[in-house]
This record gives sequence, structure tokens and C-alpha cells, in this order.
Amino acid sequence: MKRAYFGIAAGVIGLVLIAYGVLSGQAGLVLQKAIRVCLECVGLG
Amino acid sequence: MAKEKRVKGDGKRHAIQAAVTLAYNFKLWNFLSGSISQGKTKSICVPGLNCYSCPGAVGACPMGALQNTVRNGGRISFPYYALGMLILFGAVLGRLICGFLCPFGFVQDLLYKIPFFKKLRSFRGDRALRWIKYAVLLLLCILFPMFLSGDWVTVPFFCKYICPSGMLFGAIPLTLANPALASQAGGLFWWKIAVLAVIVLLSLLISRPFCRYLCPLGAFYGLFNRIAIVNLQHSEDKCTHCGACEAVCPMGIDPVKDYASTECIRCTRCARACPHGALHLGIGAQKNSDKKQAAANRRKAGRKNK
Repeated sequence: MKRAYFGIAAGVIGLVLIAYGVLSGQAGLVLQKAIRVCLECVGLG
Repeated sequence: MAKEKRVKGDGKRHAIQAAVTLAYNFKLWNFLSGSISQGKTKSICVPGLNCYSCPGAVGACPMGALQNTVRNGGRISFPYYALGMLILFGAVLGRLICGFLCPFGFVQDLLYKIPFFKKLRSFRGDRALRWIKYAVLLLLCILFPMFLSGDWVTVPFFCKYICPSGMLFGAIPLTLANPALASQAGGLFWWKIAVLAVIVLLSLLISRPFCRYLCPLGAFYGLFNRIAIVNLQHSEDKCTHCGACEAVCPMGIDPVKDYASTECIRCTRCARACPHGALHLGIGAQKNSDKKQAAANRRKAGRKNK
């Protein structure tokens, strides 16, 4: 159970990073990449 | 012909894997048009390895997102968003994601079910080869995209040169349905087809070869296996060390010796194979090795027998 607290703490760190990433526009960057065919991913780039 | 050992409950796990694969890629009509989804949900990462260039994909691949955000506008940037997603998924579930929520893991599980002349559980060099995935994570997913990309374009080296999921779920359906894309297939395309073919062939022989040796996502989530909230627990007082769990482990590890191993994909085959219920999923990794309790249980059992 003790180790689960480390997991919860890591999860909170993850949430903070996500929130900061959203505020700094990185979610938009991911969206821009994801809605175009990733030519590298499909071996055409 | 060698076959995989069957364990009760595998069907239910595969049903969950199939449902998850469908949920990640539910825009099935895009497979016919050879286009990809443009929805805003694609700014959110899914936990498993699922290429965002799969025609049906409704979310982003976390490894693709990581590679594309370590550099932005020609400058190195800290990937807060993608790393946050990876840490959150890892902290809650660890490699349970590999066992239940990864479409490419599901494909490998199905391939391993096909009878083949031999099924290898382990071999000389197996342990050493497992370190490759950490090099893939560090080099191809972080350092190379960060330092070897051009000024304006970030190159996702893992996606470009290795990722078989992108080929299977993205390239093959897209090039089959879209002649314009198919006409662009060159050396890189065939290189990646060869990588996919090797992994498919290896999957007939070895359980989950991509997860064992190459997957950077599994390498990352494995780091959280010891602290993940949902985790495998082992009750020493119930365990008879019969080896039933080790015999069915698809990753070739001994769950009793190392139930929090970075290699464990939490598929729960060990738990389902255990005749005494000594392994189970719970909150927090835990070894219930309370010797006093185990001794008390033995005394109690002894008194009852008298």
C-alpha cells in the first residue's frame, strides 16, 4: 500500500505536467501532428 | 506443432483488448476512404501504442507525441504534455497497459496462438536483448529527435525507422485505400514492411518479441511497475512455489520471485493459473510475506487437524 502513495504522487506530477503542457500550447502541437498523415510513421516520409 | 498453453480467462482478456483496439480506432469508415480522422480528440494521447495515422484513430500515440514535442520550431523544448500523459498512465496502471490496452500487444498475443514448429519461452541472450528497448526509448524517441532533427521539422526517429504499429495500422490500410499515397512508397516503406514482417514471424516463435526487446512505451511504463497504483500482489502464505505461474508467463519471468518486475505486462495469466489464489491485482505492489501471519495460519491449521 505504501508504494501506491508513490504512484499517486507520480500521477499528480503527471497531471501537473499535462496542465502546464496544455497551457503552453503543446496539446495543440500534438493535435496538429495527429490530424495530418504522418508520412514518417507510414514509411513515406 | 507447438502450441501456447491455455489459461482460463484468456478469452475475456482478449475481448477487452479487442474492445480497446476498436475504441482507439472506431472511425472505421476512414479505412474505406483512405483518410485519417481530423477530430479534436486527437490532441489526447491513448495509453497504448496506436499510430495516429491509422485511418480510424481517434487519439494520439503517446510515443509519437513525445517525439514530436521534444523539439519545437527548431528549438529543444521540454515535452510537458506528452511526458505528463506518459507519467500519469504509468503511475496508475504501469505495464498493465501492455497486457490489456495495447493494440499491437493484442496482435502479438494472437500471432503467438498460431501453432508453430517451436515456441521459445526463453533463450540465451534473452535477458540482455531486453535492454535494447531502453536504448530505443532514450536514443530514437528522445535524443535523436531532439538533436538530430532539422531546423523546422522534428523527425520522429522511432516512428520513422522502427514502429511496426504505424505500418500495420497506418501504412498498410492507407496505401491500400489511397493510390496517391501508395505511389509514394519507396525504400523506407519497404524497410518498415521488412521490420513488421520480422516481428510477425518472431511473434509466432516467441511471445511478445516487440514488447520484450524494442517497445519504448513498454520500457517507460515498466519503470512504474513498482509504484503503479493498480498492481500485482503476491501472498506468500498462500504460495506453494509450484511454478504454475512461471510456466504460463508470456514474458518469461517468475512472478513469485519478482512480481513487480519491469518486464511484467500484468496480463494476469499467472494469477489465473495459480491454483491457490496467491497472485492477484490490487492497489499497490505488495508482497504479503508476513511471516508471523503465515506461521499463525500454519498453527491454526495444525490445531484444526488435531
